[in-house]
Amino acid sequence: MNSILAAENLSKRFYATQALKRVSFNLFRGEVHALVGENGAGKSTLIKIFGGIHRAGSGRVLLDGGTVHFHSPADAYAAGIAVISQELRVVPQLAVFENVMLGHLPRKRSGLIDWKAARQRAREALDRLHFQPDLDAQVGSMSFAERQSVAIARALSRDARVLILDEPTAALEEREVRSLFEVIRRLKGQNVAILFVSHRLEEIPAIADRCTVMRDGGVVAEFGRGAFAPGDLVLNMTGRAVDVEHHARGTAAGEVLLEAALEPDLRLHARQLTGLAGLLGSGTTQLLRHMFGAGERTRERAGVRIRGREATLAHPSQAISAGIGMVQNERALGLVLSHTVRENIVLPHLRRFGAFWRMDDRAAEGVVRELIAALDIRPADPDAVVHSLSGGNQQKVALAKWLAGRIDVLLLDEPTQGIDVAAKAYIHRLMHEFAEKGGAVLFASSEIHEVMSLSDAVLAVKRNSISARLERGQGLSEQAVRDAMSG
Amino acid sequence: MRKETLIGQIPLITLVVLCVVISFIAPQFLSALNLSNVLVQAAVMTVISMGMTFVILAGGFDLSVGSIVALAGCIAAAVMLKAGIVPGVLAGVAVGALVGLVNGLVITALRVNPFITTLGTMVLVRGVVFLFTGGAPIPSESTLPQPFLDFGVVRLLGIHYLVWVPAALVLVLSWILANTPYGRSVYATGGNREAAYFSGINVNRVVTSTYVWSGALAGLAGVMLASRLQSGQPTAGEFYELTAIAAVVLGGAALHGGEGKLYKTVIGVFIMVVLGNGLNLMNVDSYWQRVAVGAVIILAAAADRLKKGN
Repeated sequence: MNSILAAENLSKRFYATQALKRVSFNLFRGEVHALVGENGAGKSTLIKIFGGIHRAGSGRVLLDGGTVHFHSPADAYAAGIAVISQELRVVPQLAVFENVMLGHLPRKRSGLIDWKAARQRAREALDRLHFQPDLDAQVGSMSFAERQSVAIARALSRDARVLILDEPTAALEEREVRSLFEVIRRLKGQNVAILFVSHRLEEIPAIADRCTVMRDGGVVAEFGRGAFAPGDLVLNMTGRAVDVEHHARGTAAGEVLLEAALEPDLRLHARQLTGLAGLLGSGTTQLLRHMFGAGERTRERAGVRIRGREATLAHPSQAISAGIGMVQNERALGLVLSHTVRENIVLPHLRRFGAFWRMDDRAAEGVVRELIAALDIRPADPDAVVHSLSGGNQQKVALAKWLAGRIDVLLLDEPTQGIDVAAKAYIHRLMHEFAEKGGAVLFASSEIHEVMSLSDAVLAVKRNSISARLERGQGLSEQAVRDAMSG
Repeated sequence: MRKETLIGQIPLITLVVLCVVISFIAPQFLSALNLSNVLVQAAVMTVISMGMTFVILAGGFDLSVGSIVALAGCIAAAVMLKAGIVPGVLAGVAVGALVGLVNGLVITALRVNPFITTLGTMVLVRGVVFLFTGGAPIPSESTLPQPFLDFGVVRLLGIHYLVWVPAALVLVLSWILANTPYGRSVYATGGNREAAYFSGINVNRVVTSTYVWSGALAGLAGVMLASRLQSGQPTAGEFYELTAIAAVVLGGAALHGGEGKLYKTVIGVFIMVVLGNGLNLMNVDSYWQRVAVGAVIILAAAADRLKKGN
């Protein structure tokens, strides 16, 4: 087979970091190729070089066998290579067809925009995906999956022959992942080559013809279809075996620490991990926020029972005083990225570490250093600025914030989204340890795998309320959860 | 808290270089008379800029301080004529704080953009000042109490009383920002409002408080200016808001909030004042001075971007 896009001995250095080391890689026409690796393995750098965002330090990029030099994303686009990032780069205020035709709206001879042709061509691109939205709908009102389709249609409307998808499934729910895979297969049939990056290893064998594994800036393995299992990928990604599946321990449930007044099923027992399973948009985030006194509407108050005592949570500060902590679904929401690890960890405990007039920095210092060591946060420097840390380490800081105080209920919204396998296993272990020490954990995850392997009890969420509570050993099965959250 | 890098000291280095260059070209810059002039000129602006720093640290913006300076000066003068110095000074500061409180409440409770809110109060308050004074200085015929007028000219240990006020304030306010739980909440709110809220900080209260600081300090600055001008002037303080914002930027604070230091804002004020003073001493046309000051502000902001770019 001949390759459409190839890298030959690509190297790239950012200041002191060698991001790519003599990487050679081939993408064939009409193939679906998965690219996996831990954070910092060099995946992003490689696709950014293909997409014209970075320039290679040395080595060559070949398109149809000839060397190409991209100086900007526009160059790569013109050559038929489109990168769809997680941010999608759609303009929410514009209509669907305008987004599809963005940057290359057809003109009439007078120089004015030919709206009729624009709509026609947008429709054609969308049809190739079997996606038929209202062409005039505002993109801002669409779901993430729909916006993703709009972004892909834009690439097709510009005759992209190579589609590079950066973690396309990270924010999708299972049903949407299946339909994205349908689209990918369809495009493959239309002879588009597809390269996609993923952290969800279990989905790769189902879709990829080949899979390339990167580690520390180099390619460490390449597998053909049917020749690999998720475990092989992990081994190659990390260079060591990681226990990915952390099964629930089935310990006896302790007392109820937190309970929603209006939803008796929503009760959290000490020493238990409770999973919150729901399709995207089903309201898991709102439920968690509600239990933290941070409901959507400012006047919305959460009626709860904390250790059996009635209480109302009108603000997160009240939840924190009651021993509840929450990690949000996006790290950028929960951390002050421009501040240090120390400042972030101390933030929820300003009252504990400070009299009204003075912070007790020495007491805080001890706690912070202990947590950095206990959670293996790297670099182990309390003064490191959080945005310089890797995603996995940032997530550890987000958890450390709550371990620094007297917190016995943890609410976690997608705690392992977008972090690599090793960090994921580590976060799972921390969740278990927290429960073992007598805490209660409620976590939402769009990966049903994760929910099933960790939870002692699962709450299925449908249309903003809980449709079922399933206990381990009493009817908890993947099928039962799926049934309860859809249908 | 954080380790200071050399790059973080660019404002100080700029100021030192500026002073050295000016003193070579115009040696009279270093005369005691001129230096004391510089200090007095910087005093009022320093007080305003410190309030502005609070607001910007918490992620906000305050255009109303210039108008507050005029309002506070006139109210203080009017109250002083009737009730004496202390009530007058307190009234000036209080009216500033009140305008700040209104700014804060509109921004947090009604969720109006800070730029628009304070643009509105800037125009509105200036209108109130003219309504209150009829456009004439207060007092127009009699004079303000002598001790109050002395405050603008008399010295303690060779330095004007007027200069001791910001000197003391910068110490106290820096300490509050760096060491109290409140100070940390200000930084966190500006750094990431959502994260601060989810960490249990009452972000609305924090944001409102910074506008109250800004208003109260602008009020105090208005009283100080009235003492120097020997009256409350309805036209006082025009464009002060822009100078104050420029000083904060020159001091290296992030305009999106969460990063900055009070003492660096003071350095920023001095860069502006020393530059103006130096150009005066060099007999540079005052029109050209404006051009130079504007260019310096843009250069400082661009340097800041370059620093963050790498």
